[in-house]
Amino acid sequence: MVKKSSTKAADEKLLVGIDLGTSRSAISADNRKKKWVESYVGWPRDFIARKVVGVPILFGDEAVKHRLSLDMYRPLKNGVIKEGTARDEEAVKELIRHLISLVESAKGDTKIRAVVGVPAESFKVNKVAIKKAVAEFAESLFVVSEPFAVAYGVGALDNAMVIDIGAGTVDFCIMHGTVPLEEDQRTVLTAGDYIDQQLFTFLKERYPEADFNLNMIRRFKEEHSFVGKADKDVEVEIPVEGKSTVHDITEEVKRACESILPAMVESTLELIAKFDPEYQDAIRENIIIAGGGSQISGLAEYLEEAIGEYGPTKVRVVEDPLYGGADGALELAKEMPEEYWTEL
Amino acid sequence: MRNAENAEIKDAILQGVFEENLTMSDPHAQADRPGRHTRHRSIITRVLPVLLITVLFVLVHFISDPINQQSTDPNAFSVKGATLPWTRIIHDQQGTTTIDNLFSSGTNSIAGPVISFDAQRLLSYKFLLNRDQARLSSVFGLGVQTIVIDPGHGGRDPGAVGSQGTREKDIVLDIALHLRDQLMESGRYRVLLTRETDTFMSLDDRVKFSNLNQADLFISLHINALPQKEFNVTETFYFGPPSDDYTLRIAEQENRGSEVLNRDFRNMIKKIGDVLKEQESATLAATIQHSLFTNMEKYDRVIADNGTKIAPFVVLLGVDAPSVLVEISCISKSEEETNLNNPAYREKITSSLEGGINGYLIQRESQIVKGDDNGKKIINESS
Repeated sequence: MVKKSSTKAADEKLLVGIDLGTSRSAISADNRKKKWVESYVGWPRDFIARKVVGVPILFGDEAVKHRLSLDMYRPLKNGVIKEGTARDEEAVKELIRHLISLVESAKGDTKIRAVVGVPAESFKVNKVAIKKAVAEFAESLFVVSEPFAVAYGVGALDNAMVIDIGAGTVDFCIMHGTVPLEEDQRTVLTAGDYIDQQLFTFLKERYPEADFNLNMIRRFKEEHSFVGKADKDVEVEIPVEGKSTVHDITEEVKRACESILPAMVESTLELIAKFDPEYQDAIRENIIIAGGGSQISGLAEYLEEAIGEYGPTKVRVVEDPLYGGADGALELAKEMPEEYWTEL
Repeated sequence: MRNAENAEIKDAILQGVFEENLTMSDPHAQADRPGRHTRHRSIITRVLPVLLITVLFVLVHFISDPINQQSTDPNAFSVKGATLPWTRIIHDQQGTTTIDNLFSSGTNSIAGPVISFDAQRLLSYKFLLNRDQARLSSVFGLGVQTIVIDPGHGGRDPGAVGSQGTREKDIVLDIALHLRDQLMESGRYRVLLTRETDTFMSLDDRVKFSNLNQADLFISLHINALPQKEFNVTETFYFGPPSDDYTLRIAEQENRGSEVLNRDFRNMIKKIGDVLKEQESATLAATIQHSLFTNMEKYDRVIADNGTKIAPFVVLLGVDAPSVLVEISCISKSEEETNLNNPAYREKITSSLEGGINGYLIQRESQIVKGDDNGKKIINESS
């Protein structure tokens, strides 16, 4: 591929792929810049808070750090923008503005062409709202469903299935050489956040004296998540009455991670069973898991075994779960014919 | 991966993405003037036929007896005057120029240079046309006298049941009874319940009850249950074709008690054209949903606001009055079930429902008051 020459012309165009996620949002641009942020947007609660944090709006980690002084929004909680909630729409807009600013050249006079991947559920109900939110910052844009962007990025265009395991939702999508229809897609709500809640409950039951919060739980999950057989015991430090103490949480992590599996396996089987019987085998042998949840160790093997009862199954994990969606969206942007951009 | 076959598939996919995005409304236009375009156009299409008929009627009237009309009518004035409402309409409503042409050519060729007619009548149309959002209830000055509250399910039909055994029918009945008392306090409305005890009542009977009592508003109360037990949602429906699978599923659930035949259903569908009912139902749904959600959110920070939705509920269709169906929250979430068992919590729900209904009533009354003198004259004239 020829690298685009960086002329300083006023009408220089920047192609971006954006993955708008419940938990994390990422952007990937054709100037080779890639950035991600936690999908948090925070506005200072009052003028004192405004003074303390020093800026009118905060994003991602910065927002989480100052959360006590902020009105915090996670605009795509549960995978959708809440209808009619102006602040959530505003938060989506700010988040997109922020993402674009991360990859834009300092001059900021480039014309942006964007492909935005959003959770499948949100694509169904909020696509117009999202389009509206991005329209302000982009010359032209396309909105697509997130698992579809992932599929396009990894070249799984025909007879393939993508399972995108996010924080708020697990999105399923069958690809068969066209834009997936609604019946080729499915969403379940037991995803990453659900694992956190389960793990929290299990640990509270087993170690009532231990002192932890959801943030710590999320970190434990991200570092140690697994399903099936444990490679080694999972031991973490959790304070008890102010004293850091080592706790064995192997069993709890396993139970929490496995809590999302039944719904996942069931949805996969149902979706495949509904598909043209001639191609069911081919799809089963071309399953791709993506999203943060694809990092759960042992997951691919577990799914291969569970779904394998219905026929030979092959499950692979995307190489870069963090940027899989954004890269896929960028790929779409790059290959989108010029007339489509201008006609839109 | 990149062979010729793949490139062909990619072309098809990219075209699909393009077409899909093309069908979404134009974001730039929306950002400038949210929703105005379509509303504008729909008012024009609604009013245009009326206008044409009126013009024809007026013309025929004058052709038959122009001189007599002129001499007997004290309110008569000239069409050529600059203050005529027609000219204003042309300024305000784009697309009505054809009417103007039709009218003026008509006047020139048929009735001569000076025509006169009833000024009052003309003002009436001006009033209807110049309203941006012709809310028919305010145009016709319809006040609310009777409110029917419909606690869902009852008797042998428990509705949704929580894991602790809490039944939808009991919760909604309790809320309905309190809501009635609170609404009655103002002394301005007659408030009726479709059932005041734990008895079974078919959906058709509820519809009949409402129509028999000449309800002006009909509010059906329900509690939802979802397979995703950690999820809590509040949403308000009014009648129409379902917007997605999910609303269709809920409609199926709530329609189960209905013995309406297919044929009857089709006949009922004819009522959908009732613009007044739909406008008012949508407004009522929006105020209730807003009040309910903003209050519920204080107790369950993760409750989802599904907003107002359109769905084909039998109760909503059959009732003549503007009607909504409120799915207050989800009993399937165990924390919510615990809350619903708490009288103080139910009290809060009652108050926020009352707040929503009152918000609607105030809005409706102020619209009627705002409908200036011309508006009142129409009402007098038509009655």
